[in-house]
Amino acid sequence: MSNKPILVIGGGPAGLEATRGIADLGYNAILVDKSDVLGGNPISANYAALTPDMRSAEEAMAEMVDAITDNPLVDIRMNTTVVGSEGDAPNLKVTLQNESGEEVVDAGSVIVSTGFQHFDPGKETQMYGYYEHDDVITIVDAEKMLKDDNFVVPSSGKKPEQICFIQCVGSRDRQIGNQWCSKVCCGIASKQAIEIRDILPETRVFIFYIDMRMYGFWEDEIYWKAQEEKNVNYIRGIVTEITKRGDKLLVKGEDTTMGRPMEIPMDMVVLSVGMEPSEGTTQMADTFKLPLESHGFIGTTGGALNTVQTKVPGVFVAGAAAGPADLEDSISMGGAAVMKACAFLRKSELQPA
Amino acid sequence: MSVTTQAPAVHTESKVPLKEFVRKGEPPTEDYREKLFELEAKGELEVQRVPEPIMEVETKYGRKKKIPVEHTWHHKSCGQCGHIPGYSTSIFWLHRQFGLDYFDPKDQSSCTAWNYYASSTSNSAAQAAIAVRNFAQAKLDGYFPLIHCGTSFGHYKETREEIIHHPELRDQVRRIMDRLKMPFVFPEEIVHYSEWIHAMRHRIAERQTLDFSNIVSTVHPACHYHKLVVEDAIYDRELYDGQRTAIVTGLVEALGAKAADYSTWHDCCGFGFRHILVSRDFSRSFATIRKIERMKEEADPDVTITHDTGCVTTLDKSQFAAQAHGRNVGIPVLSDAQFAALAMGAHPYNVCQLHWHGVDNKPLLEKMGIDHKKAWEEFETIAERIESGELDFMTWEDADVK
Amino acid sequence: MSIYTDAKYMDVPYEEKLKLFKEVKDDMRYDHNLYGCYECGICVAACPSARFYDFSPRVFAQIMAREDVDTFYELLNDNVWDCSQCYSCTRCPRQNNPGGIILMMRDAAVRAGLQSAKDALRAYSRIIYKVMSTGTQVAPDMLQPDFFPDWGTDVKAVAENLDVWRRAIPPETLHTTELAWDVSEKTRLELYMIWKLTGNLELIEGIDEGIYMILEEVMEELLDDNGYDIDDFENILED
Repeated sequence: MSNKPILVIGGGPAGLEATRGIADLGYNAILVDKSDVLGGNPISANYAALTPDMRSAEEAMAEMVDAITDNPLVDIRMNTTVVGSEGDAPNLKVTLQNESGEEVVDAGSVIVSTGFQHFDPGKETQMYGYYEHDDVITIVDAEKMLKDDNFVVPSSGKKPEQICFIQCVGSRDRQIGNQWCSKVCCGIASKQAIEIRDILPETRVFIFYIDMRMYGFWEDEIYWKAQEEKNVNYIRGIVTEITKRGDKLLVKGEDTTMGRPMEIPMDMVVLSVGMEPSEGTTQMADTFKLPLESHGFIGTTGGALNTVQTKVPGVFVAGAAAGPADLEDSISMGGAAVMKACAFLRKSELQPA
Repeated sequence: MSVTTQAPAVHTESKVPLKEFVRKGEPPTEDYREKLFELEAKGELEVQRVPEPIMEVETKYGRKKKIPVEHTWHHKSCGQCGHIPGYSTSIFWLHRQFGLDYFDPKDQSSCTAWNYYASSTSNSAAQAAIAVRNFAQAKLDGYFPLIHCGTSFGHYKETREEIIHHPELRDQVRRIMDRLKMPFVFPEEIVHYSEWIHAMRHRIAERQTLDFSNIVSTVHPACHYHKLVVEDAIYDRELYDGQRTAIVTGLVEALGAKAADYSTWHDCCGFGFRHILVSRDFSRSFATIRKIERMKEEADPDVTITHDTGCVTTLDKSQFAAQAHGRNVGIPVLSDAQFAALAMGAHPYNVCQLHWHGVDNKPLLEKMGIDHKKAWEEFETIAERIESGELDFMTWEDADVK
Repeated sequence: MSIYTDAKYMDVPYEEKLKLFKEVKDDMRYDHNLYGCYECGICVAACPSARFYDFSPRVFAQIMAREDVDTFYELLNDNVWDCSQCYSCTRCPRQNNPGGIILMMRDAAVRAGLQSAKDALRAYSRIIYKVMSTGTQVAPDMLQPDFFPDWGTDVKAVAENLDVWRRAIPPETLHTTELAWDVSEKTRLELYMIWKLTGNLELIEGIDEGIYMILEEVMEELLDDNGYDIDDFENILED
């Protein structure tokens, strides 16, 4: 069996699952993460409960980290970035960099799991005023507030009487250039709406949407639950602008299914920001010369039949680096990438180039 | 759309390899009979069993439903008795022809559901008590309820669900029945008369005296029969592959007539409960534009047959004004009971009382081989004898005199 | 405060709307009639009233799921009486019963004696009288050309020959002109007791006081003839 390690770049859910899988199969893994803590966005962006099973993000990520900690087959490099790569798999020489300098390591194969970043609402072309109004926040901000058990109107510190979510901010928008659906925001907004109604039962919660995209079991477990048990108000119609009226935010839009114009005062507005390729993802594509697919994520070969193989032999991708992905997708892709990477190494040993 | 000369059949030759629906798995709804028997075992109410002999029919989710052949308590319909009396008369006449034991009670009230749906001037407790009072009376009279009206049928099934699921309602009904000094009875099955006709259709066909092979009929299934509480409506794998209710179509085909398809078969008739009485412009428009004109255009039937009070009334009476405006209407409307009775040689006026209907049905009668002029003279003769005081009423014997 | 800029009935106090909304929500049938709504429109597609009125069963399901009290009140006044109560809408994939929701709302409108309910039922109240007093909803003598001018000439023929034609029907229960069939006095008596015990007479009082007074008189007389006192039948639902 080859001693050459498989390099996993990015320690979010996909990378953690990939690392665990490599070690479970008896191969060596090097896990590189640019930050000082493992867990990826669920940790760095302070997620409270995960969608759809409502489990604490910290607890779930700790479980994943524990599975690879103190494992002799796993070499974890924190605060480390990948800055260069020479040669072809299985004989890659990859340059890592951290505070103390650069180091070249051998790698038999690579799994890129550098994920996504949340869309910055400053780039939206509607007029939601995230940077103008204190009480316009994103689902990422809302997660932190929920995690801190302090869900209040930012400007006043009071309990909100009326709040809304606006879906598809930075997604499905040609003007912005992000034409994709980010897959998870409908579920996350609905999940947060349930959590908000649980802690603030007097608060009226609206979700303004274009289409509700709640595939599989998210349908009844999140969407129906939010509507039927928590009376979350789902209104089809996207808000055109958010303005200030007294100490309230005023949202304007059309209730498209009713065909009626709306103007509703809100204490808080939550923007359901979507996913974009992270900086790390873009950089790794450059470093390993991985062609991007048309939206700017790392491209794969084989369409639906191969979700993890990049166009470069021996280099695989897992999780949201390849496109919008929920946690279930990311974990599944992490496992699939391990299988392909180990198979690549095994084949190259049996048939040396 | 062009006018079709050939009415589209409800059974068409498949152009693709044979597809056969086979229902698998458990029915998605609870079995109300089990629930009723549980309540009976707890002593909460008494379940009246369907009397022998029993005919079994298949319902929507594959469960079997028991239909009594005889010993039935005829729960009459307001609209049938009041405005289409040949409807109820035909049901009784069919029972008499087969020599079946039945009871036509005076101790029966309306289910009052027409009013309940129209005006909401009632409540669940009153509606349930009215149902149970009628059922208790049937039990005391020693007969099993056979429900003539589709709305009574549907409403009693809604009431059954409410009684099964709400102990507080059962308690209210029990207290009311105690005041009335009557038992809390609910029948094992709520049976609509058209289900009896469906189950009896081959026996009716055996006794058929008229040839219906050149008669084309469209069928309107009643909303409160197959939409209100769907699970125990009759479905039959032999008809529409079990995908639409088999009610009425089963009879039409058993009698050798052609059941013709049309694109708005699933639409309501336009009755509307309060609309048919006080907002008739709606009922009229819907009945003619969505139902009658579509039937006429697509199937050009000799008759349309349905199995509920409101549907016969709305489809029939709405055509007069449309005809006056020169629209493409003019389809006689009959109940399945009248159609079956005519097939077995019932008198069109003495028994089927077709003079209470609006649309001209003489061409239909001619096609059936019925001498309607002679029949009308026979009716008029009896009517004159009643008017002169020679007769008090038309008896069953008078009615059958040829 | 309605979410709509074109909202109606903003002069009606919110508390009044909320009271009616809560009555509907507390209805025993509510949980069975409403789940949630994703506005697929299957109910509207199947709805006869939606084809001829500005009416949508979908709107009822959605607004009730949202618990939008202001819009509920608009529907309660402006749309609730257009429904045909055919229950074609029950094919809902969420298992809603919009027709059932509407019936509960009509109940609330009638109980509250809303002017819109009175208006909707004005021409109808003689039917209420018929069914409550006789135990049959419609009667042969209602077939009058002036009430059914659009039903054609046979209505006139029936009206002219009513007595003879009714007697020229073989079943002896049908020889009636004022009732659909011959309802026994026992049954009418029992029916009156049910109306009284379930508070239905009080309900009529809120909608049409004239009809209520005649009904009360008719019922009192029959009960009295049979040795009952009408005041002995208190509304048991208020216990």
